[in-house]
Amino acid sequence: MNDLDRREFLRGSAGGLAGLALVPELDRLFPKLPAGAELRVGLVGTGARGKEILDELAKIDGVIVQAICDRDSGKLRSGGRRAKDAARHDNVEQMLEQEAGLQAVFVATSTDQHRAVAEAALAAGKHVWCEAPLAHTLDDARALAASGGAAGTVFAVGSEARSNPTYQRARAIFKSGGVRDLVSVRGGWFQKATWRAVAPSDERERLLNWRLDPARCAGLPGEVASHALDALLWFTGERPESVTGRGAILLHKDGREVADTVALDFALPDERRMGFEASLANSFEGEHLVLRGTHGTIKLASTHAWLFKESDAVTQGWEVYAHREQFFKDEGITLISNATQLADQGKLKEGMGLPNPPVYYTLHDFVAAVLEGGEPVCSGVDALAPTVLGILADQAIRSRQTVAVDPAQLSLEG
Amino acid sequence: MATETHRLAFRAMRTDFEFVLCGADSRRLRVAAEEARAEIEATDRELSAFSLGSLLNKVNREAGERPVKVPGRLLELFVLCRRVYRDSGGAFDPSVAPLMEAWGFREDPERTPGAGTSSDAASVAEQRSAVGLDALELDPAAGTVRFRRPGLQLDLGGVGKGVALDRAAEALRDAGLGHFLLHGGSSTFLAFGAPPHQPAWRVGVRHPRDPERVLASVELRDRALSVSGQHGRTILADGARLGHVIDPARGAPAAGELAVVTASTAAAADAWSTALLAGAAAPVSWKACA
Repeated sequence: MNDLDRREFLRGSAGGLAGLALVPELDRLFPKLPAGAELRVGLVGTGARGKEILDELAKIDGVIVQAICDRDSGKLRSGGRRAKDAARHDNVEQMLEQEAGLQAVFVATSTDQHRAVAEAALAAGKHVWCEAPLAHTLDDARALAASGGAAGTVFAVGSEARSNPTYQRARAIFKSGGVRDLVSVRGGWFQKATWRAVAPSDERERLLNWRLDPARCAGLPGEVASHALDALLWFTGERPESVTGRGAILLHKDGREVADTVALDFALPDERRMGFEASLANSFEGEHLVLRGTHGTIKLASTHAWLFKESDAVTQGWEVYAHREQFFKDEGITLISNATQLADQGKLKEGMGLPNPPVYYTLHDFVAAVLEGGEPVCSGVDALAPTVLGILADQAIRSRQTVAVDPAQLSLEG
Repeated sequence: MATETHRLAFRAMRTDFEFVLCGADSRRLRVAAEEARAEIEATDRELSAFSLGSLLNKVNREAGERPVKVPGRLLELFVLCRRVYRDSGGAFDPSVAPLMEAWGFREDPERTPGAGTSSDAASVAEQRSAVGLDALELDPAAGTVRFRRPGLQLDLGGVGKGVALDRAAEALRDAGLGHFLLHGGSSTFLAFGAPPHQPAWRVGVRHPRDPERVLASVELRDRALSVSGQHGRTILADGARLGHVIDPARGAPAAGELAVVTASTAAAADAWSTALLAGAAAPVSWKACA
């Protein structure tokens, strides 16, 4: 969220409420790994997301990118500019066979390839970090969640919500009754982008345009709503009972069949709703999730989070540490448990958000889990329910009917 | 076949970027522009001196204590910086940040726009001792960077826009484009091919004291141009308005008004125009690099 968005948001939605910005612990903002520890990794998929991952891995001490892999020669070449010392491969099997010493594999391929690549790496005894969602079909999602759980290595899914220090702080407040009883949830993801790739040949172009192929991708619900659903499940434990949706192509009328704009309505228990909108035709407000309760509202916006209290909400102990900050005509109160330390380091000037992009923290959590022998922050089982809900939401749009959610679909026990 | 033109303007690296792309397929141009923009934004995240999460910030925090491993292309950028530092006799110096701070130029311009504050001699003298890229130790075999002098801090603002444009151009060429003009802040340009029915892209250089007047018109084809001037942040000292480019030799704002450089890469053009302005003996300097 940029400054203008933030000001507009605060001006438009705060009303008579006091805005409390949720700032995580300093140690979580700049996490450390054991000194001297090394992890030799490979990255499969060097498209836009893979390149972001390479940029963030470069900031994590001890990570050595030994190999990169992509079926597309152009993507492999551009990925190679970021990882000049890494060996390059055009297929996963070759990489796994030839790269002795590879300990972990990051999977940033098209979603329809997640299962095959991740299972191949797990079978080779590698630790695996897999981009969310797990898969584009219910069968693949279930199978990969099971494979990940059965592996003797770490299998982690890139849930940006669960690793996000700001969201962790907000969740702790939510769990401690900070907004009291949940009233409704509203989420959004807006980005002005084509989701299209171009390549010199039709075959390469078809390969790269997996997001525009209904057979290989569950559209905006599968790719982006699933992340908001993950946050919903992690914060509230509320499981949607059904979903309806509408989708349309409002900007990118370039022959695609996949909607560039969608609106979803999830029915939560006790007649509550979660609305979710996403569009590739407009970028205003970016990514956000609003959890509205009887005593307050939490707004999550990727790198930032705020708490707005109702006037009748009880003042809680942690509020005495609040740092006040002016946003245009509104005064927000920054909640920082170690404000003095941050102020000493001049870091309050940076604002209230994360210094690193959210993906950095999920990558760091995975590396820490491998090097320190811990559990993944988001396992395949954790990632199953949001993946399934995203796929069902896509089905609801395509069928233009309400799709019921069978609770058994959301866990491996069912 | 008809030639389409696609323009994209956006804000990144605390300045305005603009792409003008020419080609036969408007869809291809639009997609390629998105990929090139992503490269600019990624470069911003990597090289920002103001973002706590940037890779450069990590280097600044840790390289004084131990060698820090960095990706090959950042190491190559440090090699370029050190080469221009040496060849310019220290006039291009990305470690000049403490001096900029002493003169009040180091505040994030988007948070504290406007003028800096003039500095006192004692503060400047103290900060000069911390400046000098000779203390930048690179180990290409290990892929590491280390600061041999305590307090050394790098600010790649004098070369960052050029680096971003070079990377954006690589993305455009990967997408099969051969005719485009890119600029960052109307001061760093990178041109490939030419616009329809023209032999080259034509860029005008404004007069430093009379912006309405075009000082020179430069034709660019497969080449970069960088203009460094004293516009933007300034301070008032002893009745004179001084710009934000610091002359490391004197530890004070440079006396030059304008420097114009053409080079094969935007990064080299950027670095050399900064060097020429910082160490300028004449108000206007020109240089054509190989």
